[in-house]
Amino acid sequence: MNAEFPLPAITGQDDAKKALLCALASDRIHTVLITGDRGTAKSTLARSIGVLAEGRQVLTVPQNITYDRLLGSIDLETTVSTGDVRLTPGLLKQADRQIIYADDINLMEEEVVQSLLNTAETGSYTLEREGFSRSIATRFLLVATMDPQEGDLTPGQMDRFDLSVRLDAITDAGLRGEIVKRRLLFERSPADFFREFWPATDALNGKLEAARERLPYVSIPEALADLISSLCLELAISGQRGDLAVAQAAAALAALDGRDNVVFEDVKLASLLALGHRRKDNPDSRQKANPPQSGETTDGKENRGTESPDRESSPGSSPGRIQAGQKNPDSRQGQNGPTPHQGYDQVFDIGSTFDVIRYLDEKSEKTTARQKSGRRTRVRSSDSSGHYRSFRLPGKNRNDIAVDATLRAAAPYQQVRRHTGLAISVEKADLREKIREKKAAHTILFLVDASGSMGVRQRMVAVKGAILSLLIDAYQKRDRIGLMIFRGTGSRLLLPPTRSPDLAVRMLRTIPTGGMTPLTAGIAEAYGLLSRGKYAGTGENKSIVILTDGRVNVPVRGGTPPAELADLARRIAGSGIRFVIVDTESGFPRIGRALILARDLKATWFRLEDLSGRRLAAFVQDTIYTYR
Amino acid sequence: MSGEHPVYPFSAIVGQDNMKDALLANLVNPSIGGVLIRGEKGTAKSTAVRAVADLLPERDVVKGCMFRCGASDIRNLCSSCREKIAAGETPETERARMRVIELPLCATEDRVAGTLDIGHAITKGQKKFEPGVLAMANGNILYVDEVNLLDDHIVDLLLDAAAMGVNFVEREGISYSHPARFMLVGTMNPEEGDLRPQLLDRFGLVVDVEGEKDTARRSEVVKRRLGFEKDPVAFCGRYEPEQQKIRDRIAVAGKILGDIEPDDRLIDTAVRVSLSLGVDGHRADITLVKTSLAFAALDGQKDVGKEHVLKAACLSLPHRMRRRPFDESHADLRSVQALIGECYSCP
Repeated sequence: MNAEFPLPAITGQDDAKKALLCALASDRIHTVLITGDRGTAKSTLARSIGVLAEGRQVLTVPQNITYDRLLGSIDLETTVSTGDVRLTPGLLKQADRQIIYADDINLMEEEVVQSLLNTAETGSYTLEREGFSRSIATRFLLVATMDPQEGDLTPGQMDRFDLSVRLDAITDAGLRGEIVKRRLLFERSPADFFREFWPATDALNGKLEAARERLPYVSIPEALADLISSLCLELAISGQRGDLAVAQAAAALAALDGRDNVVFEDVKLASLLALGHRRKDNPDSRQKANPPQSGETTDGKENRGTESPDRESSPGSSPGRIQAGQKNPDSRQGQNGPTPHQGYDQVFDIGSTFDVIRYLDEKSEKTTARQKSGRRTRVRSSDSSGHYRSFRLPGKNRNDIAVDATLRAAAPYQQVRRHTGLAISVEKADLREKIREKKAAHTILFLVDASGSMGVRQRMVAVKGAILSLLIDAYQKRDRIGLMIFRGTGSRLLLPPTRSPDLAVRMLRTIPTGGMTPLTAGIAEAYGLLSRGKYAGTGENKSIVILTDGRVNVPVRGGTPPAELADLARRIAGSGIRFVIVDTESGFPRIGRALILARDLKATWFRLEDLSGRRLAAFVQDTIYTYR
Repeated sequence: MSGEHPVYPFSAIVGQDNMKDALLANLVNPSIGGVLIRGEKGTAKSTAVRAVADLLPERDVVKGCMFRCGASDIRNLCSSCREKIAAGETPETERARMRVIELPLCATEDRVAGTLDIGHAITKGQKKFEPGVLAMANGNILYVDEVNLLDDHIVDLLLDAAAMGVNFVEREGISYSHPARFMLVGTMNPEEGDLRPQLLDRFGLVVDVEGEKDTARRSEVVKRRLGFEKDPVAFCGRYEPEQQKIRDRIAVAGKILGDIEPDDRLIDTAVRVSLSLGVDGHRADITLVKTSLAFAALDGQKDVGKEHVLKAACLSLPHRMRRRPFDESHADLRSVQALIGECYSCP
């Protein structure tokens, strides 16, 4: 009953296969991450190790996992029937000496990811639940996949992965054709396909077994150990995990190759596998390493801005890069100063460090183009939608009973309770309710002053730019962006909050401008839109970004316009919707009405002057996502 | 059709040929990966999806199995059926019709993935798995209306199961896995927001439908609909010969598909097209080849012709083109058609 695609049948992706083989051969490599765009055989590759695992089972962590199954919980059946409180092991314990496979790990809850990574690294975890308090030892290999377009892991989580490889779609036409053919053959008859690749699979298994036996005797020459340290220093890898992972992977590579000594080539490939995701000078991770609280987004934008000219404007260095690229293993030795077989007393100077760095640069070039992004924020859900995360004693939400937790709470008392025909008697004190969690979507509504005051054109350019650049990133964060303008006597919703860039482009083509400034009515309307009806959904983060100079001149109920505005602002301030005021007042004298409005609304305030659309988007993201 | 609630017959749907083709191709080869139908309300999207169930031949399923395991599909059995067979039993089978299982937008996680059977736990004190929507969908069509509005974490569950063909449940004290192979059919109105790229890529084919523009055909739509509502049974009876023709066509196509292998020209074309478009990953190539084969088979042919590839390309590629925000991708599709024409021009 083996329905998996065998590893030797996977076309190309040699680095990734090496990484998996290293992990299978070595007991010291506990975590492997495979990243890549959708459809690049991440999952196929990760699952293919099942046939190579030699009696080790592959356990799948599904997206629907709850903590009781991950960590373990009270054994309901035994406890009810005997009154003896016993523990059912969770997946982490069941996976002892086995393999855990986590597909799309970046979509899982933070705590699940942490538990998996911590346990994999330390070989044990502490269970503190439902009256159990114990430390549980378990050793497993974690193989995870993720598509970075769907959101990233934190740098801390990335660092926990011993090895990481990125898969890219193959661009060679011949190989692509081969991929299609093999896939179709496999689907037609998995059994035949498996048989066809059995000799290769078997050979690989033999190689693995030999490598496992050899690995304890593999040694790393001192010069190479020094090289690893200087490499990590040069790349500004924080902590020691990187050094260790390179050394362990290099040793495993040597063992797989049937050698007792690690050579330069091993270190080179090992660095690619172990350091690619830990690098600091990779623009991608550098910005991720910034404290997430402040200025991450702005920094990111700036980095991105300078990154591409940098790469393109150094034509002098590119031929050198290509030489150092060495995709062809045969050409590696000739071009590098120290060749592997020159003996172990060879001193690897700073030059060889840079050889490796150049190699990493070349191999990871494609990954650096990735964009920034934190994970999506999550909020507690107050209705019964969302992922069941945990449970608690019932509070306000008595309808969403966590049945499993309730039964477990009742289980130990069953021997002493009176039963009325049921096997389990549940009392009120046993009741537990579910704590659910949802990925939070932000709804951002731009409210723009389109009256005839100065600078309306520039304002509109900035706003359009901001909306479009926010929408480009919106699918990672599931945000909705809308636009409302006010002018003349009222407001108009030009772009209902949407996630669709196509729609936005169509709706934003023309924006009418000119007329009076009915700011009060505009704010009231915008507030109404987000607090009532369709967009009022609980648990959502909602923001209104107001671009105005604050010079309101249209009354709503016949009072003086500024007084009405102040009154409205104070009433709706702090009501759950976040306000950002972008002050469009420019030149002299300044009246500062927008600042007053910002104070009344308890809003974040800044000036539009010289902000381009991109910068505006960055500011908005920054204020909105770092809130809370 | 002899059920109590007759569904509007597939063959009575006016026009919308792309949508019908896409559905039929999936019926012939379910591994194409389902269909996403994009279009405004009232363009017969749901009608077409529901009508599909009546086209499928009944299949043998294990009697009493809650996952309706296919009796002949030994590789994808649930654990209890597997145990039975391993113990030497020959499970009793029954004939079952393929069904359209609907996943409502408000479905909660436990209902989708399956959960602890509460009644059983309380009355017997034992844990038992209560199957969810993914279990019912096994071997059937899973239909999600307004799929772009589906909650994000439910999408994650769907993707998880769709990717593996197995639903692993590790929740609420339950540890269970069961086969979950289904044909995913989604409908959406693109104005309500985009679909997550990851989910979009899981749909083998995407069709954009528009309301009928021709007056005569529009009134034909209305006439047939009224005819159906007046007397569904008689209406279905009138279309029964047409329905049978389609059923036969699917059955024949299925047989042909088992015999044909993709030739080098087809694979070569698919690869060249994908490379020229810079699509993500390899799913585009594979789907294009499979869909072309299915269309040839539906035409009763063993040789894939240019027209089959062209039709397949229109359905399998547009949603996989690397998305440059804000440009409309029709121009690219024209160059694809030119390229396919080129590949198939010399004999």
